[in-house]
Amino acid sequence: MAILTEGRIVPLIALLLVWVATYISINMGKEGKIKIRRIAGLDAIEEVIGRAVETGRPVFDIIGMGQFTDAYATQTIAALSVLSHVATLSAKLGAELIAPQARVDVMPVAIELVKDAYRAEGKLDELNVDEQLPYLSGTQFAWASGIIGMAARLKPAANIMIGPFWAESMMFAETFDRIGSMQVGGTARTYQIPFFAALCDYVLIGEEIFAAGAYVSGDPQQIGSIAAQDWFKMGAIGLSLIGALLSSVGVDIIAEMLSW
Amino acid sequence: MDVKRDIPLAITFIVGMLAIGEYYTGIEAITDTFTIVKNWGIVLQGFALGLGAVNLFRVHGSRVSTRKRDDWMFSGWLLLMLVVFVFFGLSTGEYDQGATYSWLYNAFYLPLGATMYSSLAFYMAYGSYKILRARNFDAALLFITAVLVIMGNTPLFPTIYPGFFHMREWIFGPIVSGAYRGIRIGIGMGAVVIGIRTLLGMETGYLGRH
Repeated sequence: MAILTEGRIVPLIALLLVWVATYISINMGKEGKIKIRRIAGLDAIEEVIGRAVETGRPVFDIIGMGQFTDAYATQTIAALSVLSHVATLSAKLGAELIAPQARVDVMPVAIELVKDAYRAEGKLDELNVDEQLPYLSGTQFAWASGIIGMAARLKPAANIMIGPFWAESMMFAETFDRIGSMQVGGTARTYQIPFFAALCDYVLIGEEIFAAGAYVSGDPQQIGSIAAQDWFKMGAIGLSLIGALLSSVGVDIIAEMLSW
Repeated sequence: MDVKRDIPLAITFIVGMLAIGEYYTGIEAITDTFTIVKNWGIVLQGFALGLGAVNLFRVHGSRVSTRKRDDWMFSGWLLLMLVVFVFFGLSTGEYDQGATYSWLYNAFYLPLGATMYSSLAFYMAYGSYKILRARNFDAALLFITAVLVIMGNTPLFPTIYPGFFHMREWIFGPIVSGAYRGIRIGIGMGAVVIGIRTLLGMETGYLGRH
């Protein structure tokens, strides 16, 4: 029996290379050698929370319906990192944070990190978990209608929705737009990106949400790790170009190599 | 050692490495161990579901009893339906396959879900109106492209002039597919790197930063 699964040898090598690249980029980040471009959507989070404080209306942070055990776990991790940042800013600036929950495995983690953020700001007594992080439903449209109802009643000044979203994305974006909320939307679900682009004030497109946790941390080491993402993207583009050129002249070596 | 942080990070690393081992290798011991870990996850989710039901009763029961909020009747309805569905699910011994349970599901839940889903048509029309106003050059380009796609998708226009259908195909092919694949490559890379950051304990936002 082969130790390595057939057809997954090249992906494993690629994974190991990404691992090494991430390690190198973290070290370069430590030395301050990595500079990344500003991401307007993440920079805007403080602005939208500030707006909520000024208007005395709540801030919504919707993390999506992803779980830790499904294919969208990485988006859920990114969403929780943003929730942690939003909770910290809300506690610091005095905004009321509302983060409705849909998943029983993610909800305890969300509650703990919001509590942690409020505790760090010395405002744990201002947090009402039952009202601010309510469990609505694990079923898509029950969850969506719950959030739409809450939005209509509470009229939040800001809505930050970063994470995995499905058809409900359009409902959220449109509802919050209609009630005049300032919106920051972001997802790596490609079918939903256009909906966010249509109605949100700021959009994080695809990979930008994965950089969110490191970006908002401001930690040079974590920011450094984002650089590996870009190096590999460049590699993928190069490989695609070479593959396309070779295929055009009838040489399929790249495609064959990738299937090893 | 920060127990609240280091133990979850260690568990994340071990489980992550098992997942990688299971995917890339055919070693039986790793596959079996990972299957056990996945089963633990299912059991834990079962507990979380039970705790969730208790939590719902606590939160919404208090709303019904105090009646301070305008929407307390929704809490009452939620608890009633929770009890009704659990009762008819368990009492027959057929769980969600029972006739009464299926009737309740098909008569209450399904139409509500379908109504919400179909309302998407209106949401999409509103979104289209917002984005297709030709306010600047970019929006004008988008507007023209959208009109061409709509004309290619509608049976009437390609019947009059087949070129509309080919135009739509061309837009979906070289233009949309090219951009879509670029985004997909970025997402793939981003997902891998955030996974590695999580395994290395660099991505700690989900554990709280403080």
